[in-house]
Order: sequence, then C-alpha cells, then structure tokens
Amino acid sequence: MINIVTALPAEARPLRDHFKLHDKQQNTPFPLYRNDDMALIVAGPGKVAAAAATAVLAGAVPASTKSAWLNIGIAGHAHHAIGSAFIAHRITDQANGNRWYPPQTLEQSLPTENLYTVDLPEDNYPEDTVYDMEASGFYAVACRFSSSELVQCLKIISDNRAQPAKAVTAKLCSRLVADRLADIEQLVNALSGLAKEYNRWHAPHPELAQLAGRWHFSVSQQHQLQQLGRRWQALAAGESLWLEQLQNKNSATGVLEYLRQHLDNLAGNA
Amino acid sequence: MFNNIYIEEQVAAHPRTRAICKRFPQATQISCERYGEVFNPKSQDFRLQKRRPSLILAHKHDGRVLETPEGYGIGGTKNYYFSHMLNCLYDCRYCFLQGMYRSANYVLYVNYEDFTRDIDTVLEQSNNEPCWFFSGYDCDSLVLEPVSGFAEHFLPLFAERPAAHIELRTKSTQIRSLLKQPPVPNAVIAFSFTPAEIHAVLEHKVPTVERRIEAMQKLQHAGWPVGLRFDPMIYHPDYQQQYSRLFAQVFKPLDSSRLHSVSLGPFRLPRSYFKNIVRLYPDEALFAGNFTETAGMISYPESLEREMADFCTGELLKYVPESTLFPCGLAA
Repeated sequence: MINIVTALPAEARPLRDHFKLHDKQQNTPFPLYRNDDMALIVAGPGKVAAAAATAVLAGAVPASTKSAWLNIGIAGHAHHAIGSAFIAHRITDQANGNRWYPPQTLEQSLPTENLYTVDLPEDNYPEDTVYDMEASGFYAVACRFSSSELVQCLKIISDNRAQPAKAVTAKLCSRLVADRLADIEQLVNALSGLAKEYNRWHAPHPELAQLAGRWHFSVSQQHQLQQLGRRWQALAAGESLWLEQLQNKNSATGVLEYLRQHLDNLAGNA
Repeated sequence: MFNNIYIEEQVAAHPRTRAICKRFPQATQISCERYGEVFNPKSQDFRLQKRRPSLILAHKHDGRVLETPEGYGIGGTKNYYFSHMLNCLYDCRYCFLQGMYRSANYVLYVNYEDFTRDIDTVLEQSNNEPCWFFSGYDCDSLVLEPVSGFAEHFLPLFAERPAAHIELRTKSTQIRSLLKQPPVPNAVIAFSFTPAEIHAVLEHKVPTVERRIEAMQKLQHAGWPVGLRFDPMIYHPDYQQQYSRLFAQVFKPLDSSRLHSVSLGPFRLPRSYFKNIVRLYPDEALFAGNFTETAGMISYPESLEREMADFCTGELLKYVPESTLFPCGLAA
C-alpha cells in the first residue's frame, strides 16, 4: 500500500487519472481517493494542513502493515528548470529549524536536493535549495506511522527567478505533474516494493489466526503464540503449523507447550 | 560504492573529507550539522537501510578511547578500544551492531589526529606499561581501508610507540596498504572465522574462508604478526565436524609457531540488542534456536556453550600452545 499526500487538487488530478483513483471516500475532512493499492489525500496548502491530512490518511488505511508514503507537489528553486523533479534528501522547516534526512535507500533515477519548507510563499529563493510549503508537516507525521525509508517527498519545480510563482496556474500545475508521471510511477513502484518486502518479513504465520480461533489464548499467551509462530517460520518455513498432535490439546497452555517443545527439538540445541 | 555522503559541517574542509569525496565524484554530498541527525533518529529500519547504506563523515568529539569490557583481551592487562568507524560493509547476521544502531549507514570519524592524542594520553597515564588498543569493535578494521586509510595512518604511529599494541580485527582481505609498509611488531592483524557452512548462510558479503586464509598467509610471510579469532562460535548440529575442518583448513598453510594469538568467544548479545535483531530478522533461523538469558545477556544454554568451548579449545590445542589461546568472555 502506498499513501500519497498532495496539497492541491490540481496536483492530485493527473495522479487520480493515472492510477485510477476513482473511489472518493465519504465523510473525511480532506478529499480522499483510493484503489486497492493506493490512497491519495488532498491536504490544501501549508505544512499544518499536510500534517493533519497525513494523520487522517494514516487513520483511514490498515494499520496492521507498514505503508509507503509519498508527498508529491510543486515547489520553487532559484534556477532549476521548470518541470525538473527532485527527491528531498534533507528537509528543513524554516520556521523552527528542524531538519530531517529521508534515507535514500531506493535505486531510482531522479536527482535529490535540499528542501526548505516555508510558511509563506518564497519569491526570492535566497538559498540554493528547493522551497515548498508542505514537506516538513508531511514527513514528521508520516514517520510516526512508517519507517523513514518508506517515506519520501517528490518535488516538481513550478517556479524560479525567471518564472515566478504568481505565474503558476492550476492548469500548469496539473501539466507539470502529468509530465512527470513516468518518474512518479517508477518511484511509487520502488517504494511499494520496499514496503511489500518489509511486510513480508514481518507477516505473522498465516495459521496463527486458525489456532487462536480454536483455543482461547489470553493476551500474554497470544504474544507467546506469535513468538512461536515467528520461530516456526524461521525453522520450518512452508510447513503447516496445524499439527495433528495439537488436535487433542484441551487448552491454549497445552498447545503452547507442545509447539515450544516441537520447536526446541527442531532447533536442535536444547 | 556510495551514492550519498553525509558530511558534518565541522569536517567539511578536513583534508580527509576532501580526499574521500574526491574518490566518489558521483555521490551526492549532503551537509548536516551533527551526524546524529542522520544516524540516530527513531523510525529507521537497519535492515531496509542495509540494502543501500550511505557514508557519513563526522567528527568524534569525546569518548574516543575507552576501556574494554571485562574479559576482553589477548594477554595484556590494560585493554582499550577505539572506533574510527561505526557499522560494517559486511552483513553478518549474528553481528551485535544490527541491534545496537538504528541506522545501517557507515559513520567514519575523520579526526584521526584526535584519536592519536587520546592514545598518547592513555600511554602517558600508564607509565609505559604495555597497553592494548583494539580497533575492530564497532566496525571491521580493514574493510574500508582503501577509502579510510585508517591502517595506513595508524600503523606507523604505533610503530613509533612500542608500549602501545594494536589489534586490527577483520574479515577483509584489504591488506595492500599493510604489505606496502614494513611490518609493525606491536600490531596484530587478527582475522575472524566461522566454519564455511556458517559463512555461507550468515556472513553476507564476507570474503570466503579460503581468501581470508590466503590474506593471512601473505601477511605472515611479510613478517606481520597475525592472529585468529573464532568469535562468536555458532552452533550447528554438526558443529564439531565443522569447526574441526575449519581449524585444519586454517592452520595448514600458516606457521602456527609464529601466530600471535588465537581467541575463542561464545555467541552472546545483550538482551535489548537481541530483541532488536529478532525484530529486524524474524525469519532468521539463527535466532529461533534455544537461548537463555543470564544477567541481561542472551546466549546458548550454559551446558551447550561450555560443550562448544571445551570441544573447540581441545581442537585448537592440537595446533597451538595454551599460552597462545585466549578464551574471551567465557565463564570460568
């Protein structure tokens, strides 16, 4: 699953069309669209709105697995060409000086850049850095719900000293995003792939639910069962946990004892 | 090798920083105030980062030379360790670094001169009593040598300080810089080994046992004191055959009488590190075995640990005298 946060409807539109995000969710404080693998929320401009929308989206998607998160939006830079795109390798909240360094673990073709998140539009571009208004709010919150390697910001340059921000229209904004769909798709696939791999590593044994349904496990016993399920996957990957010998166990305690003994024997260093 | 290099502002102009950055012209340079901003944040995943770690160039402010934990040593009474680097290019599944750090990025402290000053301070305070300095605790001493120039810098300094002994601990075959200089009698190049079967499944990216033996042989031939480290010992139902074969293979081409030291260590991890590693690698069979916890340390059950240590000690004594063998961290 990948969650996308944009500021503007004009940024979201080409993404909705391309990724077929036609299913608009009802009764959410921000426009939210989704399909089976992706959710997109339109936050409105500013880091506070971005943070709030990110939290809303986190509450709207399954929490049992880790999702990838991507903030896509337009930004300014003193001299980078209009339409060029960058991944943020450092995000600085200009108002409070807080900094984040999204880990660059993906093999991807886009260049990376420093990014300043500002509270008001920046027309002078004093530093050699990309300027936006959302990334710090998005990143700080998204990292609460996922691992930072799975959280990235993609910025497309919409304005520079030669072509100031006041010239940016909704139409231009949509076109800039649409022109970068190939890069966006590549990034989405890479991030989603990484999230899938992470979730595969951490997936509970598929038969644990079956066992939990047959016997009554206390909360503490459920933790023990999960640990045994993990050991089972490490020591007997692919083998059914639903052992014949478990059928005659009268209680969860008996099931846990048998599984523990069985695994200790498998481990061979008891 | 590195796509991104994070550079602390304080070391941006350091000649070592400049030289390293020159080696990687394609790498993106990212400035940071303190390396902890990149290395320490929560919500990082060591396993995900290990796919493509970055290099961080930093300044080590304090705690540069520290006393070793009790039981760590190869005969000396004053034992210290220092780490010019955090993390390792290799990916050994049993390594405690995975459980200790949140980030898999490599931190390289470039202010070697400050380390040297602190080593000198320790030496002064010890009144010329021999001191041992271990360098391969938080990293592999040699694997990044072509980039770090660590051994190239420090070994000549130790050559001038006969009371100071240094152990470079490694699984690397990066020995070119050592072979280019005369051997330093108070420096031991110690190579770590597990049996080939364990290496194949747990020591990812590590040179084969054969290549490491070959490197040792070259160093010994050139006159360097070399040592053997069988630490940690990893259990397998066939561990006796595996370790017997390994010892035979390792000792055959080496001149045992000129080996500086051989050490043996059990598999032990602090509980919190063990938990972190299991969280990272729930699918790893090594951690699904039977372990016990004693005083906050996770290890094989005592009887098994003792059995393995006794067996390996017995086997090693076929090749080296007792005076050369150092059991590290094993219960008496």
